[in-house]
Amino acid sequence: MARVMWNGSLSFGLINVPVQLVGAVVDRDVHFRQLHEKDGAPIETRRFCAEEGKEVPFDQIGHGFETENGTQVVLTDEELDAAAPRKTRTIDIEAFVDAAAIDPLLLDHPYVLLPAGETDGVRRAYRLLAEVIEGSGRVALGRVVLRAKEHLVAVGVREGLLAVTTMRFHDELRPASDVDTGGARKPSAAKLKAAVDLIGELSADWDPDRYEDRHRKRLEAAVAGADRTEHLDDGDDDAAGSGTPGATAGSDLMDVLKASLAKARS
Amino acid sequence: MNATIVFAGVAVPVKLHTATTSETVSFHEVHLKDGGRIEHRRFCTKEDKEVPYEEIAKGHEIADGEYAVLTKEQLAAAMPSGDKTIRIEEFVPAGDVAPILFDKGYHLGVGEGGADGYRLLHDALVKTKRFGIAFFVFHDRERLAAVRPQDGVLVLQTLRPADALVALDDVRPDADDARAPTAKERKMAEQLIEALHEEFDPTAYEDEHRELVLKLIEQKAAGKDIDLPEPEDSEPTDDLAAALQASLDERAHGGRRRRANTGKAAPAAKHRRASPSAAKKKKGQS
Repeated sequence: MARVMWNGSLSFGLINVPVQLVGAVVDRDVHFRQLHEKDGAPIETRRFCAEEGKEVPFDQIGHGFETENGTQVVLTDEELDAAAPRKTRTIDIEAFVDAAAIDPLLLDHPYVLLPAGETDGVRRAYRLLAEVIEGSGRVALGRVVLRAKEHLVAVGVREGLLAVTTMRFHDELRPASDVDTGGARKPSAAKLKAAVDLIGELSADWDPDRYEDRHRKRLEAAVAGADRTEHLDDGDDDAAGSGTPGATAGSDLMDVLKASLAKARS
Repeated sequence: MNATIVFAGVAVPVKLHTATTSETVSFHEVHLKDGGRIEHRRFCTKEDKEVPYEEIAKGHEIADGEYAVLTKEQLAAAMPSGDKTIRIEEFVPAGDVAPILFDKGYHLGVGEGGADGYRLLHDALVKTKRFGIAFFVFHDRERLAAVRPQDGVLVLQTLRPADALVALDDVRPDADDARAPTAKERKMAEQLIEALHEEFDPTAYEDEHRELVLKLIEQKAAGKDIDLPEPEDSEPTDDLAAALQASLDERAHGGRRRRANTGKAAPAAKHRRASPSAAKKKKGQS
């Protein structure tokens, strides 16, 4: 069963729906922990005070912040909690916006909201929200506090369930206008057509299942190898392909496009 | 970082810049007693002795307490060679890639001698309304990514593997016998969505928590006491129709509007939480 990351309520106008937040993605990465090579024993991290050179228990550790004039301000856990926005147990819907208007670069982590409780009222309110949000083509914007940090969230609907995505704040997104795009002139109609044709040749419908996580596969193979022999074969480099072609300069771009097109069509 | 976009035989040199930054206030650990910095030291759990970094291996737990051990060299051998190539495998319809798969975003700038190719790829993606789906190696790890045009710039956004998505049927609550919302409830909820509809303006949302943390640091630096927060409560809605009606009435009377209409002076347009007194009033009405 999915792990509940947060319990609270979704508030829309004067409606309060008790909900639970669960992750919408699972971490399938191959994880490692540090071991002592000599005896294979797990490594543990201990916290030491740099002043005293002595180990410090967790409850005697605070949060230090270096101010601009170089002095250190220390906050305890409790004091830092005071900065938690008042409502840590509510996602307050503040507005509804068109889903397409949200820059995908602002999207952070996806979650699912589930109704908490089996009473008629909770289930009906949840269902009502999911149905009308889905029908509106819009997403709700609100805020949620997770792990002592406030996030802006978009609440939409996936397969009948309320889907929450945490978002970055606008000042955490670098402006596209800072990017040097080279300022090349508009490509000629012939060049553009050749490029469009090439894209056409390499077109496919999107099927995410076709792409396996080769990184994970490679690590899994390494782990399997280590298990049997504690020795790895030489690196498996069939996936990455070798050598990077040099830049295709402007003058011969057309030739390369034509050659690529011919090859793609052959 | 310099990289090269490759599709078929075409190579376009680009520069990779992260598109996002984290503005979260970061702290370091300190010993409360003396303000000393905390250092993390590695200890072997068997020997109870500190272990230098050179003696660390990586273990993947294959059974409880049992590890497959990889040395740093073995691990490095399993990593892809960092050839810094964004290899576009195919071009797919832009609308097909579900935003939920989007992970980390990068802006692609033009690389040495790549201006024409950059512009051409950008314009061709705009014209075909397609995204390039590419493999690229970054930080010793191969990832799947989408290359798409946005605001005149090529953007690369890594994609989560398809099997990373939780199957929603695995978390969906059991079919319930709760009554379906009535047509009237649905209508009122739709009206409420309409009343709260606005153009998305990301700058209208500030990270209030960040501001509060910074304020707290200021207070503490000035030697002031910090008030601890009071607990909150909220009750589930029992009468859906009545709550909807009350919400709509509240909007209509505008007595407690949280924001000015769009286009008004900036501070008023910011989305602020209702003040505690307003929140209490709201409870009283429900």
